Amino acid sequence: MDAKVKVEHLTKKYGDLLVLDDISFSIKKGEFLCIVGPTGCGKTTFLNLLTKIIEPTSGNIYIDGVPANPKVHNISSVFQEPSAFPWLTAEQNIEYGLKIKKYDPKYIKEQSAKILALLGLEDYKNVYPRDMSVSMEQRVVIGRAFAMNPDLLLMDEPYGQMDIKMRYYLEDEVVRLWKVTGSTVLFVTHNLEEAVYLAERVLVLTNKPATIKTEIQVDLERPRKVSSPEFVEIRKELTDMIKWW
Amino acid sequence: MEQYTKKKIIYQILPLLSVSALILAWIIFSYSTGGIIFPAPISVFQRVLKTFETPIANMTIIGHTLISLKRVLIGLLVSCVSGISIGILVGSNKYLKATIGSFLEIFRPIPPIAWIPIMIMWFGIGELPKVLLIVLGSFFPVMLNTASGILLVNKINLDVGQIFGGNKLSILKEIILPTALPSIFSGIRTSVSCGWTVVLAAEMMGAQQGLGLLVMKGWGINDMALVLGAVIIIAIIGALFSYLLKKAERLLMPWNR
Repeated sequence: MDAKVKVEHLTKKYGDLLVLDDISFSIKKGEFLCIVGPTGCGKTTFLNLLTKIIEPTSGNIYIDGVPANPKVHNISSVFQEPSAFPWLTAEQNIEYGLKIKKYDPKYIKEQSAKILALLGLEDYKNVYPRDMSVSMEQRVVIGRAFAMNPDLLLMDEPYGQMDIKMRYYLEDEVVRLWKVTGSTVLFVTHNLEEAVYLAERVLVLTNKPATIKTEIQVDLERPRKVSSPEFVEIRKELTDMIKWW
Repeated sequence: MEQYTKKKIIYQILPLLSVSALILAWIIFSYSTGGIIFPAPISVFQRVLKTFETPIANMTIIGHTLISLKRVLIGLLVSCVSGISIGILVGSNKYLKATIGSFLEIFRPIPPIAWIPIMIMWFGIGELPKVLLIVLGSFFPVMLNTASGILLVNKINLDVGQIFGGNKLSILKEIILPTALPSIFSGIRTSVSCGWTVVLAAEMMGAQQGLGLLVMKGWGINDMALVLGAVIIIAIIGALFSYLLKKAERLLMPWNR
């Protein structure tokens, strides 16, 4: 397997409390991987380890065979709560990461224009987050993450605050962005339907201390239909696996 | 839309009405008291003009105004630079908060006017003690507001900066300072009024030039028109400062309108 990201024996302890227990897996280049797990199982700790906000007790994360480092690799993340910078416009927010990485100004403008066009936000590029709806702000944050052409994009229940209609719309949008940019995406959710709709592969975490219980391959054509027998079958299979929640 | 325009017009007229009402009350009060204790606006205006013919301490009222203004601006500049720098250090580092913050906390409650005799005894009545007094009076609002503004930084924004690979300087410049900017401006606004309070007090205690000197001279010779003239100039400059600060805020913080 052409592994872009390799997680090896990742373990995190807070004092005597074991949160993550010896997690190992790989993500292929350009893969869309979903992680599902019960509430409080340590998903956020897991993502914070991958983004290097916190250090593991033991184990390693490699991107392209090199220990993951935000200063070397392009790592992006989208949190559940919108995290656009209030003092930057939609366009400036999308350009933020590119400027931090000191890309050529011409490339930055081209990339932000491309992302704004993909999101259909060209007319709102000069709008500040205070004048945006929650969903529009979250779309800007997603655009900011994809603009980096990230080595690894981490999404932590990004649609948790959206209603069902907006959720479907944004799920399609994220699939479109993923296809166009070819990014490697790790998407955390506790919504099983969302996981089957988005993922090429789903990892199932256990209760705390979290380990990988199992994984499911989702080889369905896109756009996926949630009511199709194949979709329902995979969702059922996933549901049966996690009944012990 | 029409209602919105009406409201906008009302909000523009109201300040003019309130200032007109104040001047009218001033005129009525002045005439009802004989105009000596409280001279009418026209008498104050004439007295201000007279300083151009007969300078006080070899200087017109404009000269005295510029002297006070220079003192305040130098003091404010020192306060803003040092207050923002120390505020950033104290707000972003627990060790510095525990050391420098505690040390400054001892000096914070001392009213700046209480320093006047000490400053005169240490440095005489030259420019240095006056500017130092303004710094003492205007430093704390900027420093404290900067430090508390920095504490308002949302952790999620810091995480984003870190994940994108930002170094400490870029996180400070791109995330922490923009978050703290509204608080910093609020501190500067307070500092400006503190600066004027202190410069007046300092000039009244011992100065050869400045608006505080005019207030003291007027008081000494029972020239209330001169006292009021100096006070009104201070009010006008204060309003001008406030206007310029608002403009600067709009320019530097377009997201905060």
